[in-house]
Amino acid sequence: MELNFDLMVKSFPLLLAGAGITVEITAMSVFMGLIIGCLVGIARLCTIKPLRYLANVYVDFIRGTPLLVQIFLVYFALPGIIGSRVDPFLAAISACSINSGAYIAEIFRAGIQSIDKGQMEAGRSLGMSWAQTMRYIIMPQAFKRIIPPLGNEFIAMLKDSSLVSVIGFEELTRRGQLIIARTYASFEIWMAVAIVYLVMTFAVARFTGYLERRFETK
Amino acid sequence: MSNEMIKITDLKKSFGDLNVLNGVNLTIKEKEVVVIIGPSGSGKSTLLRCINYLEEPTGGSIVIDGIPLSGEANINEIRKEVGMVFQRFNLFPHMNVMENLMLAPMKVRGVSKQEAEETATKYLTKVGLFDKARSYPDQLSGGQQQRVAIARALCMKPKALLFDEPTSALDPEMVNEVLDVMKELANEGMTMAVVTHEMGFAREVGDRVVFVDSGVIQEEGTPEELFGNPKTERCKSFLSKIL
Repeated sequence: MELNFDLMVKSFPLLLAGAGITVEITAMSVFMGLIIGCLVGIARLCTIKPLRYLANVYVDFIRGTPLLVQIFLVYFALPGIIGSRVDPFLAAISACSINSGAYIAEIFRAGIQSIDKGQMEAGRSLGMSWAQTMRYIIMPQAFKRIIPPLGNEFIAMLKDSSLVSVIGFEELTRRGQLIIARTYASFEIWMAVAIVYLVMTFAVARFTGYLERRFETK
Repeated sequence: MSNEMIKITDLKKSFGDLNVLNGVNLTIKEKEVVVIIGPSGSGKSTLLRCINYLEEPTGGSIVIDGIPLSGEANINEIRKEVGMVFQRFNLFPHMNVMENLMLAPMKVRGVSKQEAEETATKYLTKVGLFDKARSYPDQLSGGQQQRVAIARALCMKPKALLFDEPTSALDPEMVNEVLDVMKELANEGMTMAVVTHEMGFAREVGDRVVFVDSGVIQEEGTPEELFGNPKTERCKSFLSKIL
């Protein structure tokens, strides 16, 4: 078998454009996931039972079903209910955000629970409300601790976002498929795609490591 | 009756089947220093934590400076007036000493940053740690951390202070620096409830000593009465073990 390096090199610009979209989906999903996860994570620890129950159901459902099925649900099943087509980009972002939110909620919950109980007691004993103590005392400390698992989540989402290719959304993996459909150069293109993913995840891992070290000094 | 700072009536607390407090009656007057002693597991810490509602009482009533404690409804109001010092200091590790002291006055009392800084400086100087204003808690010794914790409680200008075994987590050579600060506060007329194993402190500073065992007050009196001539067998046997 002869490798066509020329084709690999030529396809890189197209793949990089796809990688840009992959990064975009991932960044938006993890950002939305952070907001969802922060709220749901706190809800899982709060004393209001219905709220806690809802949060548990959400996390259990998302963690217990494949992301691929969740994407299908949003893109194919949801239009049947709301009566109109869902834009692939919106579907991709929604499915990934909702998915990421559940995992990040667990990260937040663990991070908050890892903070010594005495911190909450000290805050409350000074007359601060639960919400104030959470905001000024618990969350700033928890956030430092959850940087490494958040980095992992970002890397996982970067790779899992390849699943949105199934609804025809042209991110990195879908670009690869399309190029192969024209050139039949399966090995070269999939290798190129793999390399682009690897470079991205490696960069994220390094960046998380840097953040970890920066926050450790204090 | 305004000089009754803390009035506890028939206070009960149980954790599931475990009854920790079985009807405690205790009144602490303004400017009084009450030292609570007793064997471990006797409920003395729980008693203190109930006063600040860190534990929810199962029964009985607590009145702070004339205001009945009624659960979450007014707990933040009460806590503003009653400071707490913990065994394990519980300073906020992500903030420097000054920020530790300024946070609650600004967020709870709503005082200006400048005023909070002035108050913090005053109390930090009082506990002898003005030079540590910009340090972080993990750069301080245990004794220094506890003195900062006392200053932090004072910054809220509380009417009373609760101390939950404030020297039990300290290395022996640091115990006195903390006790000295507490003595000074007592001399200035701060109302204090102190759970401690420091009998020297109890003798010297306490206006009244309360012996708690099995979740009730077994005996109380002046330090001379209680240490010199304990009446109950339990108190006698407790004192014989520790003195």
